[in-house]
Amino acid sequence: MSKCRRKVQIRTVRSRLTVVLVAAILCGAIAAGALAQSAGKSTLIGKLEGPEVVTDPARFPKSFSESPQLTALVKAGKLPPVAERIGQDPLVIKPLKEIGKYGGMWRAGFTGPADFWNGFRCCSGPDHLMFWDYTGDKVVPNLAKGLEMQDGGKTWLVHLRRGMKWSDGKPFTADDFVFWFEDIYRNKDLVPTPSATLAINGKQGVIEKVDTYTVRYKFPEPYFMLPDVLAGSTELAGQMWGYRAMGGFAPAHYLKQFLPKYVKAEELDKKVKDAKFDSWVRLFLNRNDWAVNPDLPVLSPWKTVTPINTPTWTLERNPYSVFVDTAGNQLPYIDKVVLTLAENLEVLNLRAIAGEYDYASRHVDLGKLPVFIENQQKGNYKVHLDPGDYCDLIIKFNLNYDADPEIGKWFNTADFRRALSLGIDRDQINETFWLGTGTPGSVVPVDSNKYNPGPQYRKLWATLDVKKANEMLDKLGLAKKDAEGYRLRADGKGRLRIEIMTLGGQFVQYTQISEMIREQWKKIGIDLKVQEVERSLALKRTAANEQQLGAWNNDGSEHLFTFPLHVFPFEVDAVASSGPLYAKWFQSGGTQGKEPEPRMKEMMEKWKKAFGVPEKERIALGKEVWKIAAEEVYIIGVVGQGPAAMGVRVVKNNMGNIPARMYNSPDGKTPGVSRPATFYWKN
Amino acid sequence: MLAYIGRRALLAVFTVWAISVLSFAIIQLPPGDYVTSYIAQMASMGSVVSDEEAQNLRIQYGLGQPIYVQYLKWMKLMVVGNFGMSMEWRRPVTEVIGDRLWLTIVVALASLLLTWVLALPIGIYSAVRQYSPGDYVATFIGFIGLAVPNFLLALVILYFGFVFFNANIGGLFTPDFQDAPWGLAKVWDLAKHLPVPALILGLAGTAQQIRIMRANLLDELRKPYVVTARSKGLSELRVILKYPVRVALNPFASTIGYTLPYIVSGSIIVSLVLGLPTVGPLLLKALIAQDMFLAGTIVLLLGVMTVIGTLISDILLVWVDPRIRLEET
Repeated sequence: MSKCRRKVQIRTVRSRLTVVLVAAILCGAIAAGALAQSAGKSTLIGKLEGPEVVTDPARFPKSFSESPQLTALVKAGKLPPVAERIGQDPLVIKPLKEIGKYGGMWRAGFTGPADFWNGFRCCSGPDHLMFWDYTGDKVVPNLAKGLEMQDGGKTWLVHLRRGMKWSDGKPFTADDFVFWFEDIYRNKDLVPTPSATLAINGKQGVIEKVDTYTVRYKFPEPYFMLPDVLAGSTELAGQMWGYRAMGGFAPAHYLKQFLPKYVKAEELDKKVKDAKFDSWVRLFLNRNDWAVNPDLPVLSPWKTVTPINTPTWTLERNPYSVFVDTAGNQLPYIDKVVLTLAENLEVLNLRAIAGEYDYASRHVDLGKLPVFIENQQKGNYKVHLDPGDYCDLIIKFNLNYDADPEIGKWFNTADFRRALSLGIDRDQINETFWLGTGTPGSVVPVDSNKYNPGPQYRKLWATLDVKKANEMLDKLGLAKKDAEGYRLRADGKGRLRIEIMTLGGQFVQYTQISEMIREQWKKIGIDLKVQEVERSLALKRTAANEQQLGAWNNDGSEHLFTFPLHVFPFEVDAVASSGPLYAKWFQSGGTQGKEPEPRMKEMMEKWKKAFGVPEKERIALGKEVWKIAAEEVYIIGVVGQGPAAMGVRVVKNNMGNIPARMYNSPDGKTPGVSRPATFYWKN
Repeated sequence: MLAYIGRRALLAVFTVWAISVLSFAIIQLPPGDYVTSYIAQMASMGSVVSDEEAQNLRIQYGLGQPIYVQYLKWMKLMVVGNFGMSMEWRRPVTEVIGDRLWLTIVVALASLLLTWVLALPIGIYSAVRQYSPGDYVATFIGFIGLAVPNFLLALVILYFGFVFFNANIGGLFTPDFQDAPWGLAKVWDLAKHLPVPALILGLAGTAQQIRIMRANLLDELRKPYVVTARSKGLSELRVILKYPVRVALNPFASTIGYTLPYIVSGSIIVSLVLGLPTVGPLLLKALIAQDMFLAGTIVLLLGVMTVIGTLISDILLVWVDPRIRLEET
């Protein structure tokens, strides 16, 4: 009883919040109509461009300069000279347009301690060993000077930058890698499950020191994907993963004081107690958190000064930053990044509209685009759109659904899935929810993606064809309908009713779009029930295999091999799953779960195989994977390549080196891929 | 009188204990726990938490233990004034709440003060000049105040504030002052931001109090002692203020019981809409993230405030209205 009542209460709060949302949208919508027409796709989406990493030593700057703030500190004897701080091998970045000026503050908003990606994306550099160029296609050196493949892909040498330092001035060397590998990664209390990113075909690799500035990764089998893995947003990529004990390296000189191996038990106990933690593990992970611990030595251009769990998350320049521009100016240009806590997304958006943020794209709502455009002049900002290379809305069939065998059977029938896909009017959805800025089509990534199997696959089973869909469903044995025109189940138990599970409060309005699909599917006689659930409940239901259809997006899947989560069943715990038992089978190497049908198995095997083959073969295998995905429609693609997820960017007019369009993806840590350290204030 | 207060205080201690059990139980009701919501949050950002890692987290946070063990652990911490660690904020609960508590109190007191300052004179005026144009205007505004949901009002005021006055959106400080150390300038900045939330939060209460004051006073004004007082030639002001108003004040005193918890939670929705750094939004977030120590402590705090508030209003009533004392003894 009390349980019911509590649910009702939550729901009232939620429905009130919905009213708030609706009201807020209405406020904007009054002026919106006409503007939406005039603000065409073309004027808002610019040319893809960005800064470049200079790898040719001949083009390196000969001398260095620094922010006046730091010069003062050097003069006062509090800091060593700039050249000493940067070292012999700077990370040289050619700014997009021009050499910038030092100074100023960058204001933006964040939504609380769970929003840590916000700061990682803007201010971490990124601190990956390798990273993407501005197109998101090519891997270039980053914190590492270079990677060297040996032994047919089984061994990789990482060359570090000589004289590079942590933000406290201590040298950054191979020891920091070995420390991470031996004392953190291999500590079962800190890392209970070894990372799949440090393994090839399920076999773990090792990290060793060659000399002070050279690290060796050794794998039992060839691991051609390693550069991509180090560049992507994987657990081996940078200190942002420190809160989960990953990252690939860690400041040994600082963190040793929190490890039982190096500290006496009673001393560590006292530290744990003083900090009011329950265990040394919690204390260690807290101290190793880039966003939480201002004392943690870091390598990023900015470092946390007031932590994320206070009302303002402030980051200031790292005096030992290894990033420099082509003229030898140590980056970043901007002194300080201030993220203020916004209690809810409406407030955050309204503040952005009012021009209270200097640069904002995270949490900016596509639905308010007309209001953003209307206030451009008043707020002294410009709106840019950064469409993603992926699908913003996908619908997953749970192929393992067995609570209702009849429905499970249809989900496993390819023509049923295809017919449902043909019953969706993607143009209507694109116009309504993406204001026409998206691209309707199947799940395959943007045409220019190297794994895209060809333009014909965009439209395959992904156009509106009600007649054909009806014919296909009739042929499957679902021809009988009830008085309201809905198809009846083959087992005679009434109407065929399917349920889609959605989550509210996300970047894409899954629930509202699903409601529209519900209307569209009436024409093909399918009765869809839309059920919005709270995210913990969603997770519980997918884990219990109770989900039928799930709505989500496949962001990140344009990097097929580092982010396969939404291409085939890859993880057991997912908010929307296309087969938890298949995922289990895949993860356990075929010992648990359920063996997938042949085509799905083919897809998984090709994906796995690609890690151990050179790039050319890998690209061919990637295309095969996407071909199967489009042909079998395990997942329906609806609208993609839109700016719904963090793709509406609001930037002050006097901020310099801002690209007209940037690669938008979790892997690119957008705007990280545009190197915010090179952004500056023109006046 | 002392015995009366003592009895009530003893009862209050038991009530608070019962509330602590209840609030802990409430936090446990929704499906899953903090780790589940953490996994879901990770999943919505594209990262994955393995079963082993989840298991490890549950052990670290002590979530795997039976509920009564968790409760006893929490009790033990509370006795020494440590309310545990907020899982989401990764800071001690006392610090997380402490950051916001006094700002919450400032906002709530401001709105309470505003309510009384507006409601008292208007209520008296409405009653004394019943059916005058002034009464109609006050009644009209009062009904609007009662009928318009205050979060909607907050949205409208925010929007117009931005469009016509270029005001800052939400919050209690100009961004420049957010992190500034306390000083006169910052207090002035706060004072400038305070009236709008105070007005929005207080409007519904004001309308209600006006109506109550008016109704009560009207009842009193018709009583024979008022007529007697008038016939004795007392000035009109004295006639009204000396007795009828005092009697009509009872509801003001008794609402303090509800006002104190309001000080802690604020109005959650209004605080959310206005982006106020108060405890209300914190509670909502803690419930969503199933951050049980934080949510539990706030719910407990609400309970304690209600108990204390009721106690205070009982005592106040005794003081304001001598008749209550007579009935008690």
